[in-house]
Amino acid sequence: MHSNCRQRGRNQNSPREIPPQTDFPTGCPMENEPGIVSPFKRVFLKGEKSRDKKAHEKVTERRPLHTVVLSLPERVEPDRLLSDYIEKEVKRAHQLPGHLTQEHDAVISLSAYNVKLAWRDGEDTILRVPIHDIAAVSYVRDDASHLVVLKTAQDPGISPSQSLCAESSRGLTTGSLSESGVGPVEACCLVILAAESKVAAEELCSLLGQVFQIVYTESTIDFLDRAIFDGASTPTHHLSLHSDDSSTKVDMKEPYETEASTFSFPECAHAGGVSPLSFCMQTAPHAKTVSESELSATAAELLQDYMLTLRTKLSSQEIQQFAALLHEYRDGASVHEFCINLRQLYGDSRKFLLLGLRPFIPEKDSQHFENFLETIGVKDGRGIITDSFGRYRRATSSTSTSTSNGNRAAGSSDDQSAPSEGDEWDRMISDISNDIEALGCSMDQDSA
Amino acid sequence: MRMTMEEMKNEAETTSMVSMPLYAVMYSAGKENPGLTQDIIMKILEEKSVEVNFTESLLQMAADDVEEYMTEQPEPEFQDLNKKAQALRQILSKIPDEIKDRVRFLQTIKDIAGAIKELLDTVNNVFKKYQYQDLRAREHQKKEFVKYSKSFSNTLKTYFKDGKAINVFISANQLIYQLIHQLPAW
Repeated sequence: MHSNCRQRGRNQNSPREIPPQTDFPTGCPMENEPGIVSPFKRVFLKGEKSRDKKAHEKVTERRPLHTVVLSLPERVEPDRLLSDYIEKEVKRAHQLPGHLTQEHDAVISLSAYNVKLAWRDGEDTILRVPIHDIAAVSYVRDDASHLVVLKTAQDPGISPSQSLCAESSRGLTTGSLSESGVGPVEACCLVILAAESKVAAEELCSLLGQVFQIVYTESTIDFLDRAIFDGASTPTHHLSLHSDDSSTKVDMKEPYETEASTFSFPECAHAGGVSPLSFCMQTAPHAKTVSESELSATAAELLQDYMLTLRTKLSSQEIQQFAALLHEYRDGASVHEFCINLRQLYGDSRKFLLLGLRPFIPEKDSQHFENFLETIGVKDGRGIITDSFGRYRRATSSTSTSTSNGNRAAGSSDDQSAPSEGDEWDRMISDISNDIEALGCSMDQDSA
Repeated sequence: MRMTMEEMKNEAETTSMVSMPLYAVMYSAGKENPGLTQDIIMKILEEKSVEVNFTESLLQMAADDVEEYMTEQPEPEFQDLNKKAQALRQILSKIPDEIKDRVRFLQTIKDIAGAIKELLDTVNNVFKKYQYQDLRAREHQKKEFVKYSKSFSNTLKTYFKDGKAINVFISANQLIYQLIHQLPAW
């Protein structure tokens, strides 16, 4: 993130002048007498007062912001941006220069995942930009205006208001550069916000800077985890697996033995009186099966991580719906249907959760899944959540016939061979989805 | 403080006839009683009120070339293993210098990730080429190293929340210790 501070050499008049009190000519002697007010003035003033009153009521009716006051160089706790969000009041500037009024009041909501801009009144979302789409943040001082400008990537999936912003600001960007004779210009989108003061603008820049730092840090740690996981599996010998292409011989990666795996999830905090979640799946007491023990510890952690994330992002009803969709997919529903339904379930704000499913999609459906992610604008290797899950490729052979939708190639002798890692994933998914459904039901019973 | 064991040994040889037996005694005693040398050094530093962070210094010394840290087998795969192990130790030894600058430290972590991956890939190559009878045992040793690598990663996550660098140094030292002791067995 880089910050620029520029001051144009214009007059020092404030762009927002307070209109003088309207005063009529005092030619009429009657108006000079106390208690006598011109009827026109009375109506006008009454209208003014009414408008002011409405505006004042509007302001006082507005909900308080979910915010924190920062005294720079103070910083917020990273958890505040990871698990929560911070709101700040700004004005949305469509074009420069412009006269900004109360109608331009907006709220910018920051988290480690995205930046959301909504109108202050009505709370309609103007735009939402994932953090990985923000190229730069700048603070521009234009006389008394304190502008915070977000430079974002051009994305076909952006809302109409964003493309409008792109249209209006692209001209400004390309025009100024072409004047200086610079070569081809890369189009971008500028989100221009006006802060109340220099302090407010710097605070906003600082928060965004912290967001970037969190994202970079999380991505780096995930990169380290990925490297450890990739190196942890040991290719030991060649095995030919029965598959659609029987001539294929592949390396069978021998995953690590795990200790007795206990998928236990921490309890959720109370929220509005709902009883805390408690989810625990123990392995069979008669010791793990051979194939279960061969699952890598890190792979099991991936699954656990994903379930943890879902629990923080989805309601109990949504978790049940997720489990149902997973069941349907396993029972033969197409991957396309699975993707569409999940996308609908997660919505626009949570579509990044789809990336976490990558490790659990069988190889034969993975191409379609990847294409689907592209079409909905969820890109590979961006943002913290994507790096948490996005780069892992299943260690199973690409020729495995075992799929999570239960299809098996006819005549396959897999039944007689040791369970593949793909089978084990399917079994784990099946167990998890069963437990999720049970969890949802038990939560309903608790709240009843 | 930053002297290799070889240098210390050489210095001991050239400076004093008395020091040589002391070095030999300490070396043998340390081998029999792990941690003894460290305890003695810590006590000396305490007595002399020397402001040295032992853990940090130990980590910085990890880059030194020490014969005991390497495998002696001449085959190319094992020499490659030596190089990868040395590369990892070198990068880990930079942590105390880089940790204060977030941007540089993140780059160091990426370098560590790459080095760990390359080391483990090399170990895998060795296992693949030399179909050992005691492969399970070697796999277990590799798994121990992976465990400490994961622990190091978790320590980093905690560090970015609480800012306590000393825990990162300790975890890095533990990882290096594992590396030193597993390498000959691989």
